[in-house]
Amino acid sequence: MSATARPGGGATLPGHQPRQGGRRDRRRGSARRRREARVAYLFVAPVVLGLLLFTAVPLAVSFGYSFTHWDLVAPAPTFVGWDNWIALTEDPRIGKVIWNTVRFILVGTTSFLLFSLLAALLTHTPRRFVGAYRAALFLPYVLSQIAVGIVWRWMFNSQTGPVTLAVELFGLDSPDWLLDPATAMISIAMVTTWQGIGYGMTLYIAGLNGVPESLLEAAKIDGAGAVRRFFSIVLPLISPTAFFLVVTSLIGALQLFDPVVAMTSSSSAVAAAGGPDNSTRTIVLYMYNQMFNYNEQISGLGYAATIAWMLALLTFLVTAVQFLLGRRFVHYEGAEPARAGRRRRTRKAAQP
Amino acid sequence: MSALTSAQAPTRAHPDAPIRRMSGARRRAQTRSVGYHAVTIVIVLAYIFPVVWAASMSLRTDENMFAADQLLPHPITFEHYQNLFAILPDLLRYFANTAVIVVFGTAGTLFSSALAGYALARFRFPGRGALLSVLLLTLMVPGQVTLIPQYVVFRQLDWINTPLPIIVPLLFGSAIATFFFRQFYLTLPRELEDAAAVDGAGAFRTFFAVITPLSGPAFLAVGLLTFVQLWNSFYVQSIYLSDQDSWVVTQALQSLVGRYNSQYGEIMAGVTLVSFPIIVIYLIFQRWIIRGIVTSGLAN
Repeated sequence: MSATARPGGGATLPGHQPRQGGRRDRRRGSARRRREARVAYLFVAPVVLGLLLFTAVPLAVSFGYSFTHWDLVAPAPTFVGWDNWIALTEDPRIGKVIWNTVRFILVGTTSFLLFSLLAALLTHTPRRFVGAYRAALFLPYVLSQIAVGIVWRWMFNSQTGPVTLAVELFGLDSPDWLLDPATAMISIAMVTTWQGIGYGMTLYIAGLNGVPESLLEAAKIDGAGAVRRFFSIVLPLISPTAFFLVVTSLIGALQLFDPVVAMTSSSSAVAAAGGPDNSTRTIVLYMYNQMFNYNEQISGLGYAATIAWMLALLTFLVTAVQFLLGRRFVHYEGAEPARAGRRRRTRKAAQP
Repeated sequence: MSALTSAQAPTRAHPDAPIRRMSGARRRAQTRSVGYHAVTIVIVLAYIFPVVWAASMSLRTDENMFAADQLLPHPITFEHYQNLFAILPDLLRYFANTAVIVVFGTAGTLFSSALAGYALARFRFPGRGALLSVLLLTLMVPGQVTLIPQYVVFRQLDWINTPLPIIVPLLFGSAIATFFFRQFYLTLPRELEDAAAVDGAGAFRTFFAVITPLSGPAFLAVGLLTFVQLWNSFYVQSIYLSDQDSWVVTQALQSLVGRYNSQYGEIMAGVTLVSFPIIVIYLIFQRWIIRGIVTSGLAN
């Protein structure tokens, strides 16, 4: 509350006095700047240390491990050169897990983007009860993917599951959802979409609220219909939100793990997940198998590290492609006028 | 209801054009509004059906488990909850294990990320831009890549089956939380620090005595998001906590799958118990959680 009692005039304080040309002043300024930097380094020290200890160093060490063979029984890793990377290109299961992930993305990420937008369009106008609707739509997002997966495992049950019963209510033959290799990954994608809609919706609503009413009003006067207004005005203006959601949801999709474990493991062991017929085994699940499931191992931690690095490279590649595409298709509102304004101001300042 | 009839009444009584047009428009708007709410309510109810139905199943008797008219269970039974504690006698211990990770992990994340976020928002120092870019880049690094070397070290330290491998990295903050705090501190008026500087307070005094008391909303938003995320997480826990005594609640839930596949009452009781604290927190602090999501989304 006390933040509201800010001085309107902004009294000139010692720290804010415009620097005058004097040499002594400049030296004092640089001393102050050095002191400020010292304090700043103390403030960021934990985060920087964490970046070094838990990201930078492990990233490099992990790359080193990818050239070794190490089942955890042996006391130390043995160097095997490019063997793991060669094995990676020859391992048919790698192709399989990547294809499984792509299938997940095709259904899951697209439906997530679409349905979150629909949910946002449904609830973005402030009116009565809208808060309650939003709260209900957001609820699944705060639940654990394990709990949600277990509930949906039952929803998809081929005898008593409500999804199956609902399909049969329409006189259709229900697929076996999680039990059929053709539909298992699609079922998982449906569940992650269901759980994520609230998140996407929340960000889309923030984006939609940023669309200026005057623009829509002007288009209406010019005779643009609701559909035209949506595609020509609203969609370009919320494209940064959509872009952010695409980038983050693809990074997440590449690391798919928890929902697969909850919905497909045939026993309580994590390593048993990925069925039926390996149709839902993901990159991270396969890496887990390589770490702990000894009967499938190629070279233990070494190969697991290779898979992890492949995942990192894949993530980097996918994100880089998106940023290249994003430069063409994402419209950042205000970017142009702001630049023009700055140019004008500098020109004016240069005149006298 | 009364609004509807009063809107209809004048049309019949006074047939002059302007009034009729107005009430006609109003009526149309009203039908549209009723239609909107009807459609939305159906969608929302269908949407949260699995959550409600799961909780309801946990309270039904076995013979009523699949009956369609049991949305509100009658008779209500708590036997599945009793059975759950028979299947998992250490369930409370798993809750305690989870709480330890959540509390220390959240506190550590908040402390370190707030400090770094503040420095990134307020101080000019060589390497600030680089640090921001590096933090942004780490969002792209999958946790799996850094996991294996960490696993090796933590195993060497004999930390497997303790919460330490999960808590200790969190004590050094997180990139997303740091961005969030930076975004928040950029919106605080600088006059606060200037006034503190006039009073002779150093940077740390200023941060802890002046800035932190005003940062409640940011701490609440980041804290809640971290809390929920840690409570729900499973992957890292399944790597480090293989011994049953060290399990967290999500692992206990997963352990029901397979072994007790047909005991829906017990499974749904487990799901309900594990989700209950999160749902309560969500219902109380919904506004802050949403604000946290929006701000961290926009910050990037």
